[in-house]
Amino acid sequence: MSALQKYAWFNLAVIALTIVVILALVPFMGTKALGGFGFLGLLGFGYFFIRPRPGKVLIDERDNLIWRRSITLAYKIFWLLFVLVAGILPGRVFGQNGDVPVRVVQMSVFVAAMLVVAVMSIAILAQYVGESKDVG
Amino acid sequence: MSDKANEKMTNRIRRLRFDNGEMTQQKLAERVGVTRQTIISLEAGKYVPSLLLAFRLASAFGVRVEDVFQYERITSE
Repeated sequence: MSALQKYAWFNLAVIALTIVVILALVPFMGTKALGGFGFLGLLGFGYFFIRPRPGKVLIDERDNLIWRRSITLAYKIFWLLFVLVAGILPGRVFGQNGDVPVRVVQMSVFVAAMLVVAVMSIAILAQYVGESKDVG
Repeated sequence: MSDKANEKMTNRIRRLRFDNGEMTQQKLAERVGVTRQTIISLEAGKYVPSLLLAFRLASAFGVRVEDVFQYERITSE
């Protein structure tokens, strides 16, 4: 498994953990459970999988290409959903002259961050599928 | 009437590895500064390398770039 694959799996694990924590706490804490989004801070530790190490190539030009493609795809999907959701939902849910609660705005930022990282990670893993089977 | 060009790039990396003392993919990867997975992808024809990596590969085998990579263009109408 390449360093970038480990990084992608770590990201997905952190996102899954965050969702599980929030869903588990909501029945007991209500909206305060949204503090569970703080677990997304663990994503920063993903750097340890890809940090440069002397004398060892962890990320090469092909990995960089896969990474760039994945980030581009993630932001394209994010932008499409952002335009659709931000343009349509607030008016329908809160009314054209209504107020969007601050909590909803804060939550949407965290959900968007999760979406971008999740799509990027899945795209990374998808591009490695079927490889690393050869030996020689 | 339109021409449709199909481009294909093949390589002889696997052959050259075995001609060079049965060099392992890992050894070649270390020599040219990439991961073993990239060598696997190159040999399978799934990845087209940068010009710089192509020259590094040729240099690792002591041959010219065109001895490692072959370009084919099939034009159909």
